[in-house]
Amino acid sequence: MIRIIGVHKWLGGRPVLSGVDLDVREGETLAIMGPSGTGKSVLLKHIVGLFDPDAGDILVDGISVPSADRTEMAAVRTKTAYVFQNSALFDSMTVRGNLLMGLPPGFCRGRAAKCEELVRTALDHVNLEPEVLTLLPAELSGGMQRRVAIARAIIGKRRYVLYDEPTTGLDPVNATRINRLIARVSEEVDATSIVVTHDVESAFFLADRIALLSDGVVAAEGTPRQLRETDNRAVREFLDAAPTRGHE
Amino acid sequence: MKAPNLLAAPGRSARAAALHAGRAGILGIATIRALAHPRRYALETVQHAKFIGLDSLPLVLLMGALSGAVMAQQTMYQLSQGLPREIVAGGVVGGMLTELGPVLTAVVLAGRVGAAIGAELGTMKVTNQIDALLTMGRDPVVELVVPRVVAGTLILIPLVMLANAMGIFSGYVTSVGILGLSTAEYVDGAKGYYHHGALIFSLVKAVAYGFAITFISSHVGLRASGGAAGVGRTATRAVVAIIVSIMVLDTVLGPVYKTLT
Repeated sequence: MIRIIGVHKWLGGRPVLSGVDLDVREGETLAIMGPSGTGKSVLLKHIVGLFDPDAGDILVDGISVPSADRTEMAAVRTKTAYVFQNSALFDSMTVRGNLLMGLPPGFCRGRAAKCEELVRTALDHVNLEPEVLTLLPAELSGGMQRRVAIARAIIGKRRYVLYDEPTTGLDPVNATRINRLIARVSEEVDATSIVVTHDVESAFFLADRIALLSDGVVAAEGTPRQLRETDNRAVREFLDAAPTRGHE
Repeated sequence: MKAPNLLAAPGRSARAAALHAGRAGILGIATIRALAHPRRYALETVQHAKFIGLDSLPLVLLMGALSGAVMAQQTMYQLSQGLPREIVAGGVVGGMLTELGPVLTAVVLAGRVGAAIGAELGTMKVTNQIDALLTMGRDPVVELVVPRVVAGTLILIPLVMLANAMGIFSGYVTSVGILGLSTAEYVDGAKGYYHHGALIFSLVKAVAYGFAITFISSHVGLRASGGAAGVGRTATRAVVAIIVSIMVLDTVLGPVYKTLT
């Protein structure tokens, strides 16, 4: 379980997070939604220790991330995988090299066959052919890069998979494909997923639960149905302003 | 009207320099600690040694050859009046081993390797690849910095030695072919000057410069920010910082020569 407790963060002289409280339950897909610049990605980065909060705490399976020592942080990071907004594939490595980086350091030493099998399985999960294994990221389309990034995140069978704006920058067809992929993969690998997005349709399609971040706090939280029916002003304003995109 | 604070700008610069030095110190300690696990960086080190060493070799040899030829000519024109002509060989051997071989090799590598490392790590920083490494539980110092620093520190030794040899040889060709020295005069002059201290001094400089080039470019690269323009600035900053550090090291290491002679 991931618990975010009263997290405050100032960046560039202004408050970005002003006391965020949020629990992520085992096995669920939580979407963190909100307008651009409300600190959704910043919040996600706190979970893996890329940012330290100015106040508050983040617990991953009981380990306090901000005060974790090297061993504890290593334990947190072996449980979590992060899919970056721009995919963040290692551009000097082939797709195979990128996927192998998703496994713990030293895992493949003396286990080449096992690693190759994991690579093929991860690739299969994201509907990519083995032919791409020898390609460099620059030789892939944006949608394929996003799929490789997801494959890299799930290859190590981590308990928590964090997606930072997984459909941003993709055309509607590819965005829909990625959403379906995340939904299917989350089920197949039995991971707890957190999806940060400003795309309303993605959030409602993927999530078991949605949290709306507004003005640095969680303005509303609930199932997609609860959010559709709420009178909460922040939710209504966000949903009414959001463009729609068909999934079918 | 408020009087301008004349100490504000130097104060800011001093603070920034201290901050940089502190961060470099932290990276240096992390680098030294990571050296204890050679299996984790050995393969990468070999690949970087090829890029830093083998791929730079033609340029390093060319610079060595040209500097040997220049050294022979200038020694002849400026110092040989009334002195034995063998002094030309002494000037070439001494100049190559103690100054030109190590310094020019380092300057070539500052431009070729320092800029490349700065830009590569800078690109990785601004495109979240460094963050991606961290989230995978991998240490960027072990994965990125240590292989480059170890490769650079080790590979500068043969590179500098080859540049020295090339310079001494081209000094010989210039002396005999253009300046009218005989082979015996050149060999006698070279033997007359040569002592092991000069060679050891050359090795010490090679190690110091190899470390400086790769460590500084890695440090600057890992601090990059600001997209493509930021990466460009990072590459420039890396080269400037390396060249300044080479000259500072050249000055600081001067007294070492005295202890070796």
